[in-house]
Amino acid sequence: MAPKPTDLLQGTLDLLILKTVSLEPLHGYAIAARINATSKALLQVPQGSLYPALHRLENKGWLAAEWDETSTGREAKFYKLTRAGRQQLEHELADWKRLTDGIALILGGAEEPSRS
Amino acid sequence: MSWLGRVFRRDKLDRELDKELRFHVETREAELRSSGASPEEARRRALAEFGGVEPIKEQARDARGTRWISDIGQDVRYALRMLRANKGFTAAAVLSLAVGLGANAAVFRVIDGLLLRRLDVKNPQELFLVETTDAGTSRFSHPAYLALAEAAPAAKFAVYTAPTSGQLLIDGSAELHNFQLVSGNWFSLLGVPAAAGRLFDSNDDNAASPQPVAVISDAFWLSNFGRARSAIGSTLTLNNTKVTIIGVAAEGFNGISVGQRVDVWAPVTMQPGLNYRSNASTDNADQSKPWVSQSGIAWLAVIGRAPEPRGALLAVLEGKYHQQVEARIADIHDASRRARFLRDRILLTDASRGVSNLRDTLAPALTVLMGMVALVLLVACANLANLLLARGSARSREFALRLSIGARRGRLIRQLLTESVTLALIGGAAGLLLSIWGAPALLRLVSTTSTAAPLVMPMDWRILSFGFGVTVLTGLLFGLIPALRLSRPEMQDALKAGARVVNAGSRRGRPQVAKVLVATQVAVSMLLVVGASLFVQTFRNLMHIDIGVDRTAVLDARFDTRLAGFDESRLPVLYARLIQAAEQLPGVKSATIGLVGPVTGSARTSGIVAERYQPPPDEDPIVQEEYVGPRYFTTLGMRIVAGRDFDERDNARGRKVAVINEAMAKKFFPGLDPVGRGFGYDDVKEIEVVGVVADVRFNGLKGKVPRLAYYPIAQHGDEFAKNLYVRAAGATSTLPSAIKDAIRRVEPGLAVREVVTIDELAERTVSAERLVSRLTAAFGFLGVFVACFGLYGTIAYSVARRRNEIGVRLALGASPSSVRWMVIRETLLLAVVGAVFGAVLALPLGRYLSTLLYGLSPRDPLTLAASAALVVIVGALAGAVPAWRASRVNPTSALRAD
Repeated sequence: MAPKPTDLLQGTLDLLILKTVSLEPLHGYAIAARINATSKALLQVPQGSLYPALHRLENKGWLAAEWDETSTGREAKFYKLTRAGRQQLEHELADWKRLTDGIALILGGAEEPSRS
Repeated sequence: MSWLGRVFRRDKLDRELDKELRFHVETREAELRSSGASPEEARRRALAEFGGVEPIKEQARDARGTRWISDIGQDVRYALRMLRANKGFTAAAVLSLAVGLGANAAVFRVIDGLLLRRLDVKNPQELFLVETTDAGTSRFSHPAYLALAEAAPAAKFAVYTAPTSGQLLIDGSAELHNFQLVSGNWFSLLGVPAAAGRLFDSNDDNAASPQPVAVISDAFWLSNFGRARSAIGSTLTLNNTKVTIIGVAAEGFNGISVGQRVDVWAPVTMQPGLNYRSNASTDNADQSKPWVSQSGIAWLAVIGRAPEPRGALLAVLEGKYHQQVEARIADIHDASRRARFLRDRILLTDASRGVSNLRDTLAPALTVLMGMVALVLLVACANLANLLLARGSARSREFALRLSIGARRGRLIRQLLTESVTLALIGGAAGLLLSIWGAPALLRLVSTTSTAAPLVMPMDWRILSFGFGVTVLTGLLFGLIPALRLSRPEMQDALKAGARVVNAGSRRGRPQVAKVLVATQVAVSMLLVVGASLFVQTFRNLMHIDIGVDRTAVLDARFDTRLAGFDESRLPVLYARLIQAAEQLPGVKSATIGLVGPVTGSARTSGIVAERYQPPPDEDPIVQEEYVGPRYFTTLGMRIVAGRDFDERDNARGRKVAVINEAMAKKFFPGLDPVGRGFGYDDVKEIEVVGVVADVRFNGLKGKVPRLAYYPIAQHGDEFAKNLYVRAAGATSTLPSAIKDAIRRVEPGLAVREVVTIDELAERTVSAERLVSRLTAAFGFLGVFVACFGLYGTIAYSVARRRNEIGVRLALGASPSSVRWMVIRETLLLAVVGAVFGAVLALPLGRYLSTLLYGLSPRDPLTLAASAALVVIVGALAGAVPAWRASRVNPTSALRAD
């Protein structure tokens, strides 16, 4: 039985979105699809949280949004990382590394420290 | 987009959000279709996967961070809709608040302008007056002032006279304006700059060469010259003397006498030139020579400027003043009299708020007023509270419904608070408007002259913030209680069907709170009514005092012959012509002349000796003096007890005569017939008594009746009469203007200040009591009205709530009159409880009022009973309409309705 996709905490979702968008500007649907694909279907973004999160990140100034044409000719809202967003991403990555290293130590050190 | 941008571009953001979400769903849909699903299936699954669109939209909107603003906007719009839908409730609440706040703000503005406001000069707290403990002599001679100033070089001093009426010739006709004589450093001491031209300096009060110069006020510059530059250097004719205008004082400066406007200032050296003869006490000096250089004439008030503390300054001044007193009493050997003079001390009184006679007479009255107005506000707030509570209960089902579909408790509370604060703000704004109109109206009532006293009363931010603070606080407080109560989760019981008959949420708390509030309102309005009736009765008692003169039939035309520049030799002819002109008018019985007047009092007193009278050792046998024309007593309707009135026999050639009043007769000629007896200032044979008249309230309605001697003015040619008395045969309404015209025809150079009845003059001596009586009556009425409103609202609401119960009763056979009685009984109970409570409160509070009352005690049982009766009757009336409505309830519709 395929493991149920894990529920994501709000902070983690922000991190994933920022990371996904750091490579290239994407619209909301593509972000969700990319996360799903890159995590090999281990993670599924609950659709109810995606857009609120995107808007929140946009209001905080970490993402900048622009309406643009997709490859199919439709109009969609593309999000890209701002400079402040890039800094925030680095902070969150550093936090994440600390968190997982710490948890790994407690759980017995059998896991590899996660690759950053 | 910035936060502010997001607040204002809500629509655009909403559209974009919509577009974005639709794009997402449609992309998924396309994906599903391309993997083989049918269009309908693709759509269904895409939507299902996406989840609820609306909640997501809500969350996205929440994430914008502008949610609370749009919520508040929504709340306010909703609140306004609710207020519009319940016009009666809104009107009642707004009216109560407007009245309560408006009255408070108006009274406070007057109190501030008169009692609290500081002078608009530099560092007003440094200003002080130099006064003496023997209050009658707080005036100094010019040499004495110079000596004091020299003794204390660290401080600055200046002198001034009180504002006096002066006659200005403007375009050929005479007008009366206030002017003041001041020292050259007056303006620089106060720190008042010039608006144009220059102000006085030390050269202007050089006694050796008096400068005929003047400074005018900005208000006078505006009204008489339109602020034209040409006014500087032009001449003004003041009291028949030409003076040159050298400058204009800064805008807004009217002198330091609060409540009086000074239009012209002249140097003290112009005293003889301007014929200034008022307010002076003379000691071994010649009043006809210039006063400035005489140390025996004390006529100037001294003002100084020095920073606090002024202890050392006081000591220095004290020492110098003592020297002056010693010099003055050098030839008095009587030890007790010497001691009396030496007891005199210097006082340095604060002058940062200026000086004011108006203030002294009105301060207690205004304080009482402030108390009453605060009570009215209390009643108004109680009204608002009750109305809010009633409204809250009426909406219990609405709120229960909203709770059940998921509204957060905090959101509901916030909405209710928004409603009550909106209501409070509307009421507050209305109150503010009322006070803008009200304060000047109040001021006009307060003023003793025919025009309003010129007080500075700008719209004060203190008042505004206090007013709004009180309203918002009331709204919050009394909106919070129902808000908390209604948003309890247990409220959902109200939705149940059974709620129709039994009122959910109305256990213990609510009806009791409303009843207590209403009873308090009634108690407070009882206090207002008792206070008002005490003051109204006081004023009535005062006005019914027999002043000894025919008050309504006698008119007094007031003028000043000295100011008009009349020579003594022309006076007898003038008097005769004035009397003749008046007696020729239709409707006039007789006319005569008088110096001072029958109620306004006079400070002129002298010591006399009388035939066969031995004064006790320690006594100063003084009498007051009045100078009158022929037939004075008959014209004024005074009772002649013995002897006769004055007539043409009593002229300069005849023997010196006098008519005395009963008080003087009793004192100096006890047990004898005074007619034919003699008295005098140095010799008992100087003056013969030819008549005795009944006492008159010479020193005002409340003053003591003095011992008074009347002299015929024809025998005292140096007295400048100020009044023409005219006795009317019938109606007096057309006479004032007729008299004015007649005088102007006879003597155009004589300005007539006004023509009033003796009654009006008498009222002016008790102007404070008149003011208090009018205003307390008004506020008492207001308070009762507002409380009645509140009572009506509560009872009406209670009836509305109990419609079902009433319907049941009627259906079961109760008579309409029993239903009516049920309601009235409830009303009466509240009214009686409130009245008793109020009466109990009135007893201790009354003690504070006893000094302000006349002719009755603050515990007057008749007053208390009458007030209680009034309050209860008003209460019964308030309940009448709801009672009648209750009896008319249609049982079937009441039971069927929700």
